[in-house]
Amino acid sequence: MIFTFEENSRIVEAYIGEYASGKSEMAINRALELSNQGRRVTLVDLDTVEPFYTLRPIKNQLEKLNLNVISSSREDSFGLGETGAMLIPRARWALRNEGDIILDIGYGVFGAQTLNLVEDIDQTPELKVIAVLNASRPMTNSLDRILEYVEGLGRVDAIVANTHMGDETTPEIISAGNEIIVEAARILQLPIIYVAIVEELKDSNVNNFGLPVKYIKRHMPAAMW
Amino acid sequence: MERVIGESKKSFMTGNEAAAWACLAAGADIMFGYPITPQNEIMHYWTRMAPKYGKGFLQTEDELSAGFTVCGGVQSGKKAFTATAGPGNVLMQEPFGMAEAMRLPLLAIIQQRGGPSSGTVVYSQQEVSLTTYGGNGEGHRIVYSTSTHQEIFDYIIKGFNTAWKFRFPVFILGDGYQAKMREPLEMYDPESRGIKMEEAYPLIGLGGKIGQDRGPSHLCNIYSLEEELYEVITKVQAEYDALAPQITEYDEKFCEDADIILVTHGVVSRAADDAVKALRAQGIKAGYFRPITLRPFPQQELRAAIAKSGAKKLLIAESAIGQLERLVKQEIYGETVKIETLFMPGVGIIESDLIDKVKSVL
Amino acid sequence: MAVQAIPKSWYLPSKPHKFCPGCGHGIVLKALGEVIDELEIQDQVIFGCDIGCSLLSWNFFACDSTQTHHGRTTPVMVGIKRSRPELVCVGYMGDGGGYSIGSQHLLNSAVRNEKVTLILVNNTNYGMTGGQMAPTTLPGQKTETSPYGRDPELTGYPTMGPEFIAQLTPDSAYVARATVSKYKQLKKYIKSALRNQMEGNGFSFVEVLSTCPTNWRTNAQQTWNFLEDEMEKYFPVGELKTPFGKGDK
Repeated sequence: MIFTFEENSRIVEAYIGEYASGKSEMAINRALELSNQGRRVTLVDLDTVEPFYTLRPIKNQLEKLNLNVISSSREDSFGLGETGAMLIPRARWALRNEGDIILDIGYGVFGAQTLNLVEDIDQTPELKVIAVLNASRPMTNSLDRILEYVEGLGRVDAIVANTHMGDETTPEIISAGNEIIVEAARILQLPIIYVAIVEELKDSNVNNFGLPVKYIKRHMPAAMW
Repeated sequence: MERVIGESKKSFMTGNEAAAWACLAAGADIMFGYPITPQNEIMHYWTRMAPKYGKGFLQTEDELSAGFTVCGGVQSGKKAFTATAGPGNVLMQEPFGMAEAMRLPLLAIIQQRGGPSSGTVVYSQQEVSLTTYGGNGEGHRIVYSTSTHQEIFDYIIKGFNTAWKFRFPVFILGDGYQAKMREPLEMYDPESRGIKMEEAYPLIGLGGKIGQDRGPSHLCNIYSLEEELYEVITKVQAEYDALAPQITEYDEKFCEDADIILVTHGVVSRAADDAVKALRAQGIKAGYFRPITLRPFPQQELRAAIAKSGAKKLLIAESAIGQLERLVKQEIYGETVKIETLFMPGVGIIESDLIDKVKSVL
Repeated sequence: MAVQAIPKSWYLPSKPHKFCPGCGHGIVLKALGEVIDELEIQDQVIFGCDIGCSLLSWNFFACDSTQTHHGRTTPVMVGIKRSRPELVCVGYMGDGGGYSIGSQHLLNSAVRNEKVTLILVNNTNYGMTGGQMAPTTLPGQKTETSPYGRDPELTGYPTMGPEFIAQLTPDSAYVARATVSKYKQLKKYIKSALRNQMEGNGFSFVEVLSTCPTNWRTNAQQTWNFLEDEMEKYFPVGELKTPFGKGDK
């Protein structure tokens, strides 16, 4: 078997976005996609604002799917209550894990700057910072707001168009929202790496604007948040 | 008033964000707050948006200060609000008491967390007693218990109006689940729905020339004589009782022929709604009653539901040990319906918990 | 200008006032009233009073006023000022309210340089509740809760309020300690503290050394002696921080 450089090299991707943008869902789906290709994958929860509200409840479930999950567990949090801006050491050293690294960056005013907390991130040329945008969110529901928001994030290399409305997502909502995101990406001169569509709507007529489409399985509802 | 939402549209967000947007849409002027989980994103989003809309914010040194600065803001005639949870709610009972005494129409969003003490940062319904009757007074306050993001948005807008119309402090009682869950809601400017926002007005700093146009305004919350206090409190109580029918809200389903009525509030009523439908599908005559206002409590309506259904049992279910149950019992004293309970302090209650409980007591 | 016996900004229906004979509060409030008149701010002032003897001033002025809770006058004034910056907010409190139960508010509002004026009356004891030990009770001083005299080993030394507030505030703050034994100076300091707020500079704080013959159980001569010989020696009078040029010590 011949390995190309591309296949051989490690993938490091950081998913960044607002609460309810779908960044965690994108990160989980990407991690599972790579894992299903037989790659070794580490999924890192870097939500420093509310660390115990994100991946923790589904950590075990994801580990059963063969992912190495770096996230606060119940044992980590015992007696800690408020938690505040807590970073677990395994997350700081996440890049020392072998294989692909998928980082789920929490929301907050620091945006991509949160990556500074990860050791050696500045010596990781393969890093891609991917902003997940949902045009159903008030902070990103118009062209101006998306531009302001993405510019405020700091480094962004690519965009995922992930307009959705949770259980009430319809093809019309996705298409209308993504139209704004496509225009914003054009102005920002950022590539949209794919349009995310929940797998339940696979057979429906969603405008993909000629972009790649990725069908997403939702894992986060099990996390209650 | 400036339209902050513009064309009404569906949005997807957390409950805390919905709260911040609702305050903005309601025309709130200033927030005073102190960080505590799980309400933090209310402050996060308010502070992001406030400068864009000319609104104020101050992060105070503690919840006592947050509560008293809100009192000051309201006295000066501004729509001031705060948000807190758990131990913060405990500290704020002192300023909330001043708001009761001086009839200050402040608005406070409470996102309940586990207790007692620091408890958990996650969820509970254990701040019902505190929020309805906290402090050294008589519970002269209005408490809305919300169950969805849409309700958080709707009742914050309504809450500012209730506060300024009736001059009682208003509480939006949510919880950590509602704070952090993501779900869609329709945001709107109140005017676009024909909702007229009450004007705020000052109690001090009244303008004009004192001595010529008017006398000084001296606001008072302490009395020298027992009789003075008695007179004031009795008058406020009478006013509260008279206004209660205008303020009370509830939701009721399938009570016409129910053998058992599930009484729940807040986020638990979502599970109760599902449970009652599932039980009905299985031929079990279950009814649903949900007080939306915990203060004042819809006691007439609950009594009527019991009477018309001829229900033999009530099932009171809550993520606390009897805080709702005590409210219900005091409000429907004299009813002979048997009361069953499902108490799960600090944890969520889901449909199957309720279905199993109903089946075990019928 | 003709000297008015009673400041125009006083609220006459509440006079004669209810302070004990020989109490210093009346002197402080007279100085404040005259300053309000001279600055012509009667209609802009919001007067907030604490619980304790300072509460007896709740309707002292023909100014809009509010009672608060013990120690909580500072945040109420801050809330009003932050909401309506055009108002002139004056918080009036005792040493217990300011330095003990409300110390976190005093400290933090000073650090934030809140544009309010606070006047704190130091009479070395809790007067209204019956003469208990205060943060400002002098070493050896007898009170109802220090019946053998305050022992600094057990209860620490008196709080030096203006000194610590001066450390916490930027140069635009005004911090002073006055005494009811020097009326002209007291009035000058209060005036500076109000001007400093009105000019939008910052936090303005005046501690006033005052008398409490009722709880000290002193006659007129002994009262004055305690103020001038004991208190003023322990608590140095003067301006600690002034944006208006050189202070007078």
